[in-house]
Amino acid sequence: MITLQLGQCGNQIGFEFWKRLCAEHGINPEGILEDYATEGMDRKDVFFYQSDDEHYIPRAVLLDLEPRVIHTIMNSPYSKLYNPENIYLSKHGGGAGNNWASGYHQGEKLQEEIFDILDREADGSDSLEGFVLCHSIAGGTGSGMGSFMLESLADRFPKKLIETYSVFPNQDEISDVVVQPYNSLLTLKRLTQCADCVVVLDNTALNRIASDRLHIQNPSFTQINKLVSTIMSVSTTTLRYPSYMNNDLVGLIAPLIPTPRLHFLMTGYTPLTTDQEGASVRKTSVLDVMRRLLQPKNMMVSTALDRNASHCYISILNIIQGEVDPTQVHKSLQRIRERKLAQFIPWGPASIQVALSRKSPYIQSTHRVSGLMLANHTNISSLFDRALQQYDKLRKREAFLEQFRKEKMFEENLDELDNSREVVEYLVKEYQAATRVDYLSWNPNKADT
Amino acid sequence: MSEFKLHHLIVQLIELLGSESAPERHLEKLQKESLTANTLNTVAPHSCIQHLAKISSEPELFIQKYEELKSKKVDLLGPFVQTLELISQDEELKKYLSRSLPRATTSSLKDPTITQEDLPKICKTVIKAAVEGGKKLNQQVCSISKKSDSTSVKHNWVIERPRITWDFHSDTTVALYQKVVPIVSQESILLWDILYCLKGIDGSYIVSEPLTSPYGVKTFNISPDVGISFKQLAQQILPLASYYSMTVRFVEEKVSPDDGQVNHALRGAIRSLLKDYLLFVVQLETEHIHGKLSLQKLWFYIQPTMLTMSILSQITSTICKANARGGKVLSLLHEQTLNNVSGEAKSKELCLYLMQAASMPYMQILEKWVYKGVICDPYQEFFVEDNELIQREELPVDYSADYWEKRYTMRLERIPVFLNEHAQTILRTGKYFNVIRQCGKTVQWGKQEPLSYQYQGQKYIAAIDRAYSEAARKLLEVLMKENDLMGRLRSVKSYFLLAQGDFVVQFMNLCEAELNKSMYDIVLHRLASLLEVALRMSTADSDPYKDDLKPELLPYDLQYQMFRILSIQTRDEKEFCFQAGKVLTGLEAFVFNYDVKWPVSLIINRKAIACYQMLFRHLFYCKYVERLLCRVWISNKIAKTFTHEVAMAYRQAFSLRQRMLDCIQHLEYYMMVEVVEPNWLKFINKMSKVSNVDDVLSVHQDLQDSYLKECMLTDPDLLSCITGICAICVEFCNFMQRMSRYYIDAELTSMIGTCQEDVYEYEIENSSTAKDGTGSFEETIVSLDEKFIKVLTRLLDRICDLGCDNNNEKLLNVLCRLDFNMFYTDILIRRGREKTDAQQDISG
Repeated sequence: MITLQLGQCGNQIGFEFWKRLCAEHGINPEGILEDYATEGMDRKDVFFYQSDDEHYIPRAVLLDLEPRVIHTIMNSPYSKLYNPENIYLSKHGGGAGNNWASGYHQGEKLQEEIFDILDREADGSDSLEGFVLCHSIAGGTGSGMGSFMLESLADRFPKKLIETYSVFPNQDEISDVVVQPYNSLLTLKRLTQCADCVVVLDNTALNRIASDRLHIQNPSFTQINKLVSTIMSVSTTTLRYPSYMNNDLVGLIAPLIPTPRLHFLMTGYTPLTTDQEGASVRKTSVLDVMRRLLQPKNMMVSTALDRNASHCYISILNIIQGEVDPTQVHKSLQRIRERKLAQFIPWGPASIQVALSRKSPYIQSTHRVSGLMLANHTNISSLFDRALQQYDKLRKREAFLEQFRKEKMFEENLDELDNSREVVEYLVKEYQAATRVDYLSWNPNKADT
Repeated sequence: MSEFKLHHLIVQLIELLGSESAPERHLEKLQKESLTANTLNTVAPHSCIQHLAKISSEPELFIQKYEELKSKKVDLLGPFVQTLELISQDEELKKYLSRSLPRATTSSLKDPTITQEDLPKICKTVIKAAVEGGKKLNQQVCSISKKSDSTSVKHNWVIERPRITWDFHSDTTVALYQKVVPIVSQESILLWDILYCLKGIDGSYIVSEPLTSPYGVKTFNISPDVGISFKQLAQQILPLASYYSMTVRFVEEKVSPDDGQVNHALRGAIRSLLKDYLLFVVQLETEHIHGKLSLQKLWFYIQPTMLTMSILSQITSTICKANARGGKVLSLLHEQTLNNVSGEAKSKELCLYLMQAASMPYMQILEKWVYKGVICDPYQEFFVEDNELIQREELPVDYSADYWEKRYTMRLERIPVFLNEHAQTILRTGKYFNVIRQCGKTVQWGKQEPLSYQYQGQKYIAAIDRAYSEAARKLLEVLMKENDLMGRLRSVKSYFLLAQGDFVVQFMNLCEAELNKSMYDIVLHRLASLLEVALRMSTADSDPYKDDLKPELLPYDLQYQMFRILSIQTRDEKEFCFQAGKVLTGLEAFVFNYDVKWPVSLIINRKAIACYQMLFRHLFYCKYVERLLCRVWISNKIAKTFTHEVAMAYRQAFSLRQRMLDCIQHLEYYMMVEVVEPNWLKFINKMSKVSNVDDVLSVHQDLQDSYLKECMLTDPDLLSCITGICAICVEFCNFMQRMSRYYIDAELTSMIGTCQEDVYEYEIENSSTAKDGTGSFEETIVSLDEKFIKVLTRLLDRICDLGCDNNNEKLLNVLCRLDFNMFYTDILIRRGREKTDAQQDISG
């Protein structure tokens, strides 16, 4: 597994993610194994490789077009953790100016140097299963360069999996990035067509969860990124702490994604507490955890409740950590089934898959049981729908398009934008179709005519 | 006896009897009853005999025969009579037996129609034959051992030189002394006669009669000339001579080595008593010479001796009649002791003396066994028998479960009564010490208490118990601590039950290409080196026992193996026997093997490994199918970029793939998370409480049984459903892989073809190329879909059936999860409705 961190947001998330992984595996900020962690039954080699001198080095590639975030990382205690050759900063350091086209174009220009790094990393791993990409879809580097990276990764490594953790912009606030709708849409097209699995992290929902559930008034980026890192680490926990099942990434995501295009996953995590909060008073039985995971307020994606459309789950995977008795799991599943707490698709078998996983022995948790849900829910289309609407608003006014026209791709026409819009629109339609029985024989073009 | 073995026996019995009932039913019944069956009476209830006698044609004869057999102490007489009674009560069985018997025994029986009346007769002949057969066998064994033992020529001097006997030798029947002696003078002569008879020599007025049976009572003939009063007195005294005769007969007869140490010891003791007796007779003679003895006085003097000798003769005659040796002698003696305990102090003392003397050699054997685990029993007297099947040197190489069960066996008939309750303990104690010794360990004994028979104050039993607990503790320690049994089991579990998931993934990555070949093309040592690499690359690297894991290829598939073990003569099995000739791929044939060293091989024996191997094959194949489906998923991910028309065409296939994956993963989840792990935890819990190795064995056996049962291996229907599902999945995956080059076409179209017409052209081309094969893409998918649904519903039905009628509700979990959103139920309902609709159409 090779991790790519792109842009400001991606690197910040990645930073938190590696911090957490190090803690879980008992690796200190310099990459040296702590004394207490020498004999673990964990697989450090999924995300780390071992250099000769007992150092564990993350299989991570840090890319940014402007130096600010990477400099912060390099000034932190974790600066020695990363392989300095894997950190790539654009030489002119100007950034992408929040412009997708600029990011994309710069990616194109730098591709040789970047793929040198990537090829080296890929050669260094014994059985490379895929790539993990962290980025936001709103900015310039993460979205633009990310899009380019997605395209070229899919092209160069067709048999490898590409999983992305994509941060969607906060829709409650007015963004300072005016071209955000354009950026989002263009990135969405690539996410639809090139990524195999997109874990959607909605800033709106993350903020809401931070303030509602963690009771933080103005959540900082770090706090939110902690949430994100939790999700990232838990979702890979079955790979790192191998047990009977789900020991490879494909086994984890394949059952979640029945048809290739519908690969946008929502996540939920419970119980959530901050560091300051003491022992939780709430009891955490398996049923509690699984029930709470099904509540929309715990979801890390905020979706407008669309009462008309009968949105439903395509698939669910719950990763439950802690001391769990399988009979409890089964009872909980039955309870959920009886009470119809979750609506499922009518065109195929769907259920809540459960993966039981061990916890890191080095992190003390007050919770006996905790759970992460990865769900493929048709309701995620509302997020794309919103992106479409925002795009349409701007596009109608032909606003802020000059910056784009400066770049090569848009010099002649803006077809790429229209094309992306079409792709996303069909994606929304397909998600809506997936709620119906006849999804298997659904054809948008015929339906239209 | 394990469940499977029992099952096998029942099946054989049923086959022999030509019955058609299901073996499972009997098995359950037997298992339920086996608890009570162990307490079978050794003596048949009186009612049984009465009943049998009543229905027999010649009741007297039957009872006579029964008494005779009883006096001979034939083993298992009680159960046999009970069985006879059961047969006589069961009309059907009787009919059946009378039907089948003529066929089998026409030659031996003149009258082929056997009626109820003949049954006792038949049983008599059967018993006789059995007893005689046993004797013959004994003789043969003896003669063989005699022949082999040429250095020591054995003589029975009493037979070779008949005159040396002290037991009334008479080759020519001595005529009674008929001299006219006045009655007054007869007393002295008569006294001499009696004194002679008491020494085993015929007198002149009193002459012994020849024996009617070898162990009968010696009787005497008194000359009619003797005066009536003397005669009566003499007759009162003469039983002593009979007692003496019997006792001497015993002493003179039990000299051959075959009679065993116990008999010899008893003989010695009796002989010393006889010496006292002869001294006593000599004293009487002196008295007589001095003219101080009269018949009256003699009668008075012999009173105490009479009692002693009667006991001796009683004991010796029972032993001789039963032809007892070893443990049985002790049992008989013990019974005698019990009978005499309430009697006089002197007779009690006598019995105890004899008992102690006779038990000495037996107790010494016991001592050696209980303290050292060695059997030193040259005459096969001890009740634990050493069947040295395997030499110790061969043990680690090919060690089978039989060793533990068969190496030392208990011969029920040789157990002395007073050790009956402790027989099991004694057997185990010795076995444990034996194993400990074979591990090269020595047991440090603080104090070895010598074992000796005691009538009361069971000191020897306490000593045995102490030795037992010591042996059990020590052996358990050797196994658990020094040989880390739990660590071994954990390591076996992580490989055979795939608990080490990352290792399995790694192994598959490396070996898949190799395993996809036919099994005869696979180079085993290449596989072995790949396995080693996989072990080093995964977390299995930290397992200290990883090097004991070896690859192996078996020439038959799992279903065949399982059926063969269950030995179910069903249609299916025949089918699979037939199929067994097909060449397996490496995947189907592959298993791990595990090197176990003595003494861990005691627990993880060949049988246990075979069981783990079956589980492994089952789980491994499921994993493999999951992997194939995931591979199809990966190659399908290209379809993201397809146009909607193309995507639609493939969606059916994707949905099928999804259902398969869903199904396989749920099965895996069930087997691994809900069966393997909880049972393992239960096992660990039980293991923390065990106190001896036999417990360990049975707990481990339980674990394996529940694994096999709950992983759906023991039910042939379920197993064939699951293999069927796997087979269809594999077929689907192969088809999809073949089709994958067409995706690339499709991808090209969607990349080039921005305008719709192009796409359509390719679309047509695409489907036409696909048609070259067996059928169009869609048709194939639909037919596979149909097949899959069919097998799956069969599986679900079967699970439903099984889950309802016995106590494996765990299985229902699978059903519940596979059909979580009622998808399959809906399909079934819909189909059912369609069917009824169709029928209505026809009828309407």
